[in-house]
Amino acid sequence: MANKRNWTVALALGAAVIGILVWRPTVLIYGLQAAGIYASIAIPMGLILGIVHIVNLAHGEFMMAASYLTYMVCRATGMDPFLALVPVAAVTAAFGFGIYKLTIRQALKAPELNQLILTFGLAILLTQAANLAFTSQTRKISFDYVSASVDIGELSFGIYNFVFVAIAVAMVVGLRLFLTRTTTGKAALAVGQNPRGAAIVGIDVDRTYALVFSLASALVGMMGAVFITRSSIFPAVGSPFTMKSFCLIAMAGVGNIPGILASSVLLGVSENFLKAFRGTRGWADIVFFVLIITVILGRSIRGKKA
Amino acid sequence: MKRTFVALALIAAAAMAFGQGTIKIGATWPLADITGKQGSMAAQQAVDEINKAGGVLGRQLELIVIDDELKADKGAAAIEKLVTVDNVDLIIGGMSSGVALGQVPAMKKYGKVVVATGAASSTVEAALGADADWYFHLHPWDYNQGASYAQGWDEIQKKYPNVKIKKIFLAYEEGAFGKASFDQTKILFGAEGRYQIDGAPFKSAALGGGDYGSVLEAAKMYKPDLFLWAGYDADALPMLEQAKAMKFSPGIYLGAPPGWPVGFGTSRLSENVMLYGMWAPSINEVSPVSKKFYDGFVAKYKAEPATYFAPLSYSAVYIVADAIKRAGSTDTAALIKALKETKYESPLGQTVTFTPAKIIKNQGIKNQKILQWQRGRQEVIWPFESATAKPVYPFPKW
Repeated sequence: MANKRNWTVALALGAAVIGILVWRPTVLIYGLQAAGIYASIAIPMGLILGIVHIVNLAHGEFMMAASYLTYMVCRATGMDPFLALVPVAAVTAAFGFGIYKLTIRQALKAPELNQLILTFGLAILLTQAANLAFTSQTRKISFDYVSASVDIGELSFGIYNFVFVAIAVAMVVGLRLFLTRTTTGKAALAVGQNPRGAAIVGIDVDRTYALVFSLASALVGMMGAVFITRSSIFPAVGSPFTMKSFCLIAMAGVGNIPGILASSVLLGVSENFLKAFRGTRGWADIVFFVLIITVILGRSIRGKKA
Repeated sequence: MKRTFVALALIAAAAMAFGQGTIKIGATWPLADITGKQGSMAAQQAVDEINKAGGVLGRQLELIVIDDELKADKGAAAIEKLVTVDNVDLIIGGMSSGVALGQVPAMKKYGKVVVATGAASSTVEAALGADADWYFHLHPWDYNQGASYAQGWDEIQKKYPNVKIKKIFLAYEEGAFGKASFDQTKILFGAEGRYQIDGAPFKSAALGGGDYGSVLEAAKMYKPDLFLWAGYDADALPMLEQAKAMKFSPGIYLGAPPGWPVGFGTSRLSENVMLYGMWAPSINEVSPVSKKFYDGFVAKYKAEPATYFAPLSYSAVYIVADAIKRAGSTDTAALIKALKETKYESPLGQTVTFTPAKIIKNQGIKNQKILQWQRGRQEVIWPFESATAKPVYPFPKW
């Protein structure tokens, strides 16, 4: 019965995809590209939430800081952001480690509200520091490859943003391999599932948290570096992505990293589907929250039935 | 004892004389924003220049700036403090219409002379009402801007017959600013069927958006002669990059953000993009006042003015200083009378006078300018009297 239902859902999805491709291929193209960006920013946050159990409200600001760092490196050396991401990721990993040791670690056993206030404070601190250092004026470096395009008949569309899809997939695969195939990764997974149990069997929980926080900071640092190829940067550029990332994680379920990618695809395609109609072009934010509410409610109802 | 009393009396007299000696100009701007930051810097530059030249009526000017933080409540509280605690003689400044709306009740309560550098929304004018004869508005209202653009394009098409505009597409950010721009465009350009107007909203990168694929696709399908986008500086280059990727090249590609990103002109993509604005450094070539302002700003702050709020705020200080000089005092009635007779050759490339608007009696600048990025510089192409270059048309194919 369940098998038949799965087949029906798969067939319906396949028919919908083919229908959209025939009617307006750009809905799928831009939808997937948007999904790549959403997922690659949200996945590092999902890693922290899944293992350290902290909602890092400064997540977007970490990315913003990495973007400014990349901007300065590229301006000073003429380096391409795809090269600059290596030193930037190293710096943000060290920065994440420092932030963990100095602040997050002290609040791990505090009530969740205190943790939220702490990371919110970090977000404000980073934003204001960027404002003081760079002003609110936006900055952007142009790269020719960002405008790379493909022509199919009369249809011309940009292909550069597929880079973010590749990054998101690489993050999902890489983290899966790390968490399931390496000793450190398995320890991190164990700490995420049961920190007390992990400590009893000899895993250094604090060290694992520090490592995961640093790893996630490195990943968001890499994203910050690549982000400047596509977007302008300014002190408040990161904050909308914090909320979006958190909602995608809530939609996927805490600890479900491939689920973040799937949620992002659902969201990106839905947004672009609505943008294709004149009357619903401004509904993208509404569909975002409608999808989240629907998925979370559906999961709760299924949980109750089970 | 006697000597102590005399010393105290002398100190008190000196303090009073010093207090009376300065003419206090209160100001509010959003200091974390480039518009407010550079606006306040340029106002201070004007104050320093005037003080260096001997001040006004033998007294020095003192500028007291409060950050309105782009919040209406902070802006209103700033007016209260400037009037009741700092005892300013008059008020200048402002950028956001939302903040100005919050400030209007406090301004009305005290009736101090205000020379406003911001607030484009005509809802502010409606809130002020016709009785606010103490309010002098330098920045054009939204309907002034729209009307001047329509006039500008009419005149450009007449002077350059190869420029032909019939279909206009407006990509507007989905907030109040973009929606108001679209509504004004439909009213002003769509009247009597002169132009065909269409448009679509997009979420600005400044507010967490930055995906322009669908809006550019809608624009490309419409095949406009003039493509106009109303958003923020964060949208400028990413939108151009996506337009290039989609091979969307309308006859005129025009942006109307309040400011441009750092180094926009150094990007090859900026070449021949048109823009609406009030001032550009190229005006230095046709206006000695602009050159004086520009050179002074660069010398003082080691940075270029990046927003027209800088010359506008600089102008506000010179306008009030000139009015105080002619009025002979800071008395409100005398100052209002003198301000009404203002004739100030501004660094914006035009002479500022105050004439009635739809509701208020004292409207300063009514025209915006049409400019174009050429070889990394913003060149004025309309009004023709302050033009620094001819328009390059059409926008080249990618």
